[in-house]
Amino acid sequence: MKKLLVLALAVLALAGCAPKDSRTHITLQRFFGECRANVPKGKPPLRNPDGECEVITRLLDQFRQQNPDIDLSVNIVAWPGYDQLSAEYAAGDPPDIAIMHQSAMPDYQKRGLIAPLDADFRQAGIDPADFTPAARQGVTIDGHVYGMPFDNWMQLWHINTALFARAGLMKDGQPVLPHSPDELIQQARQFKARTGLPYLIQATANEQASYTRNLYTYLMDQHAVFFTDPKHIRLDTPEARRVVDLFRRMYAEGLMTHDQDYPAATQAFLNGQGGVYQVGTWMIGTFTSESETPGHPLYRAYTVKPYPMLYGSAPTAYVDGHAWVMPTRPRTPAQKEAVLRLMKFLQQHDFDWSRTGHLPSQIQVAQSAQYLALPHRRDIIGLATVGRQLPHDIQRQFAISDIIGDEMASAVTGHKPTEQALQDAQRRVNDLLYNLI
Amino acid sequence: MSAVRPRWSNALFVAPFLFFYLTLLIWPLLAGMALSLFKADLFGGRAFVGFENFARLMRDRVFLQAVANTFYFVLLSVPPLTVLPLFLALLLNKGGRLAAFFRGVFFSSSVLSVTIVTLIWRMILMPDGGFIADVRALFGAAAIPFLSDPRLVMISMAIITVWWCLGLPMMLYLAALQQVPKDIYEAAALDNASWWKTLWSITLPSLYRTVALVAIFQVVLQFQLFGQPQLITQGGPNGASRPIVLFIFEVGFRRWDIGYAAAASQILFAIILIATVVQYAVSSRGKASA
Amino acid sequence: MSPRNARTLRDGLTLIVLIALGLVMLTPLIWTVMLSLKSNGELLRSTANAFHGPWTLENYGTILKNSQVFRWLMNSAIVSGCTTIGVLVLSSLAGYGFSRVEFPGRDALFLFVLFGLAIPEQAVIITRHQMFSFLHLHNSYPGLILPGLSAPFGVFLMTQYFRAIPKELDEAALLDNASRLKVFWKVLLPLTVPAQATLGIFTFLASWNDYWWPLISATRADMFTLTVGLASSQINFAQTSGLGYLMTQAVFAAVPILIVYVIFQKYIVKAVSGAAVR
Repeated sequence: MKKLLVLALAVLALAGCAPKDSRTHITLQRFFGECRANVPKGKPPLRNPDGECEVITRLLDQFRQQNPDIDLSVNIVAWPGYDQLSAEYAAGDPPDIAIMHQSAMPDYQKRGLIAPLDADFRQAGIDPADFTPAARQGVTIDGHVYGMPFDNWMQLWHINTALFARAGLMKDGQPVLPHSPDELIQQARQFKARTGLPYLIQATANEQASYTRNLYTYLMDQHAVFFTDPKHIRLDTPEARRVVDLFRRMYAEGLMTHDQDYPAATQAFLNGQGGVYQVGTWMIGTFTSESETPGHPLYRAYTVKPYPMLYGSAPTAYVDGHAWVMPTRPRTPAQKEAVLRLMKFLQQHDFDWSRTGHLPSQIQVAQSAQYLALPHRRDIIGLATVGRQLPHDIQRQFAISDIIGDEMASAVTGHKPTEQALQDAQRRVNDLLYNLI
Repeated sequence: MSAVRPRWSNALFVAPFLFFYLTLLIWPLLAGMALSLFKADLFGGRAFVGFENFARLMRDRVFLQAVANTFYFVLLSVPPLTVLPLFLALLLNKGGRLAAFFRGVFFSSSVLSVTIVTLIWRMILMPDGGFIADVRALFGAAAIPFLSDPRLVMISMAIITVWWCLGLPMMLYLAALQQVPKDIYEAAALDNASWWKTLWSITLPSLYRTVALVAIFQVVLQFQLFGQPQLITQGGPNGASRPIVLFIFEVGFRRWDIGYAAAASQILFAIILIATVVQYAVSSRGKASA
Repeated sequence: MSPRNARTLRDGLTLIVLIALGLVMLTPLIWTVMLSLKSNGELLRSTANAFHGPWTLENYGTILKNSQVFRWLMNSAIVSGCTTIGVLVLSSLAGYGFSRVEFPGRDALFLFVLFGLAIPEQAVIITRHQMFSFLHLHNSYPGLILPGLSAPFGVFLMTQYFRAIPKELDEAALLDNASRLKVFWKVLLPLTVPAQATLGIFTFLASWNDYWWPLISATRADMFTLTVGLASSQINFAQTSGLGYLMTQAVFAAVPILIVYVIFQKYIVKAVSGAAVR
């Protein structure tokens, strides 16, 4: 009975999706949401033209218009989409092209689930030398390129310059930033004394990734090597302790906000309740438009800078990014060519994507006057060159990030001693890596 | 009792359900048990390791903490979820629009998905800017860190869960109350039995089976707590709100270590099974023979 | 105090208690609706903005203009509807079988089914997914409906309710030489209508709000159920930048269930004049 049912369904399915035309069919899978209400089919956005959803929707519409011989279907999934993607692989039916975090690529590469693209790029006239250093590092694994980088993003210091002025921390129109942990504490105390508000706005509740990115950045700042090999992390080190203790001290002295989760922290910064908000590139658009609206707390009071280096002098930061990958699956040469055409199209429109606030992945865009004229980009574009990811032979980076963030949250909020938290994080991460197949 | 001869053909009543039960629940369960003996990856790699996954679980501080958290949560949530809906059902077991309105009110929370429930309660409980914090601020009291204090977080989860889940047990009790034959009540009324006496001697005993059913079901359900801590606290602070299913999810879906996750699910299954069997045995002995 | 005054006092107290509890129940829901009527931008700055105007229906417009939302609604309706009907049929038959008729091994088999109550979804979801991959059942309605039919809760529930019905009723019919099936259909089933309605609402609700299985089984956008589809249409960090829209989704997804509840609930509590507890 069931077999009959399956057979009947198979026939229906085939009948339903048998291509009635001779176009090449490919499926693209992405997140970023759905916003047809803002972007009518084939037309420019009506609202919020710099939003992630609006930009990508418009780009894919344009691709369709310019490539009538390709039938592109777009599968939108909830962020980050790995549960569906894994399920699709398990069922033997992954999409033709999918967006992926650069930090997640090693997992799929290791298992042969995404295809190396060196030869294909050469044929399509795509040169990895055109990618920014951070982007190139992001898509290169074992010396081969596995995806078309779309952007790089990282956490930044978003600064309320009006409050900084009140605290006496503005000079020549630029915020005064610390160059050492002691300077940070001293400036934070000064800020609090003069404004009565915490210096740093930070989500401490229900938040993990942010802590990990902070830790990575400041470990990189100290040139600490924390992954001795792909299967071992070292966190119980003086460098890590320094960073955790610094944040712990700020929390204990009330120089950092307490008990906020991500939405609450974002609102706090928007409403001028703190000096610095450590959050990512994706908020640049929102904060910029606040800074242009009279009457709002951030009006003319916003700027954004990379994390100040507190331990060394060479600027660096932990970065991640998005890339378009080609899942391994049987496909016709026409489909492969269509996917590469789409990747090239996205590469050529990298400037449009950079309007969202993420850093561009193409050197040409990063150096262009058009890009640098966008608000605040000059301050942060350096990170496209000096930003670094974790080594690409490290797997399960999302899971590792959650573990480290979980332990760091306990340490910073004072629920666990620093040493113990770092040891526990180290043990749990090593255990996870040890047990990988 | 009339003589009823056991006949194989009578089993046809249960056969359709059994077919689905065996193929879609028992078979995957057995496959999962087999999987727990392997070190396996979501995409095919596997190696037989015997009981090593279980040994590893016993050494895993995070898992052990999750087990303790789950037991604590069940103790906090099941009694209110068994008793409070009963109380409401007794009050609302009458005709009229007012009772119908209130029944709808108490059911309404159950139609929401966990995503929305957690979103709303986050906004109520968050110490910074949450509804309760704002009200307390009006009186000059400090905010209570419902979600960031390890000692309070499971209690918060229990409050949210009771709010969300009390509608369905209430409906079960109402349905059971409907089945109490009316003539029993009429006889009691004729005897001038007081309201209290009717409640204790007639209504509650006839609900015994349903109370047992609700209790068993709530125990089974709440041992599987997952969405609330996943979405509100991600298991924190410091692992205080991580239940077993969240552990299984993190290990299986996020770390792709599905053999280890399967082993943890077997342990959870065993725990729930023991709890269910004990409850069923106790309640069967207690009820009057049918 | 005279009995009538005592009764009035009790009625009054009851009403006060009910109103208080009712407010606790309803306030979060009213809050949801209020938030759904505000624009995302205003809520980003402060959720307290929901207490005053301007209010807008733009979020509802956004949902309705989503090209696939009606498809998702239909998918959910078909899946939840079929699951509910399937569960009611299977559970009623099995419940009757376990409580009213005899066959060899009946009680042992019932315990075996009870055993299934303890199985957590996590213990079977991955292996079930593997099995369905092998059978090519993903991205299909059967793929979404079949798992729900294997849950033993309905059987357990119906068995308990059947057991509560006095056996004398069966016997009267049997004396008239009715077959077992006829006894089931004509005599007992109508008496379990409240239980059926409850099980129906419960099954529909569980199926409607189910997230993980539909997420990993129906991965193509045109097969999404409403819960999965609405989640997929959210932008990143929707809790901050898309709160109004998120709440509108909640209202949108809740309305069909409320309709089902309103239809079914009158079968649960019929007018009970004179038979109430007090």
